[in-house]
Amino acid sequence: MLSRTITIQNKLGLHARAATKMAQLALQFKAKVQVQQGEKTASADSVMALLMLASNQGKEVTITADGEDEEQALNAICELVSNRFDESE
Amino acid sequence: MNVKLLLQPDCTKVLADCQSKKKILEHIAEIASTKLPDLTCTDILASLMNREKLGSTGIGNGVAIPHGKITPKGEPVAVLLVSHPGINYDAIDNRPVDVFFALLVPEDQCDVHLQTLASIAEIFDNKDMLKRIRSAETDNDLYNVIEAA
Repeated sequence: MLSRTITIQNKLGLHARAATKMAQLALQFKAKVQVQQGEKTASADSVMALLMLASNQGKEVTITADGEDEEQALNAICELVSNRFDESE
Repeated sequence: MNVKLLLQPDCTKVLADCQSKKKILEHIAEIASTKLPDLTCTDILASLMNREKLGSTGIGNGVAIPHGKITPKGEPVAVLLVSHPGINYDAIDNRPVDVFFALLVPEDQCDVHLQTLASIAEIFDNKDMLKRIRSAETDNDLYNVIEAA
């Protein structure tokens, strides 16, 4: 299992469209990807679970990936977050 | 904001004859416009449609959360629709959607919006709750299910 802690950078945080992008990306990997924020953990392939985190700009989240393509999955999800979910701010 | 505070009694509807995404959004816009006197039904519909064009708000398990922006000063308005049967909504899991929780939110309130989305997700993450929402027979029943949550 691999994990990395990153900061939510986009202005709108993990809102519906961002959460949907993350879930769509997570679904492409075999590895089980989770997002942890404080005491809450969400499965990255569930928009519902991601929205319950209410992660806003500046929040630190820990991404974990477990499975055969865990490295690719972790990198892809972290890249999406650092690229502000392709949002302009 | 908490879902119970957000949802007003005359903003729930059980529909039996809805065939398309557009019709659903029209119903939502019509109900929301009664609570947003500064906006026309057409404006609200356009805002909801524009958001869907960026990607479907069908978040899985037969649930969608269509949303649009209203002016910064306005109070958020929520509309809950249940459609029998579900319709094709291009949801993330490709399942038909029958539960729609629509939100019209003021611009520039990102953190409040995130909290609202979280409280909506909590309701729809609950299987029992979702079952009760789906089996509500009248508009009023539907409202009471949320009130009792």
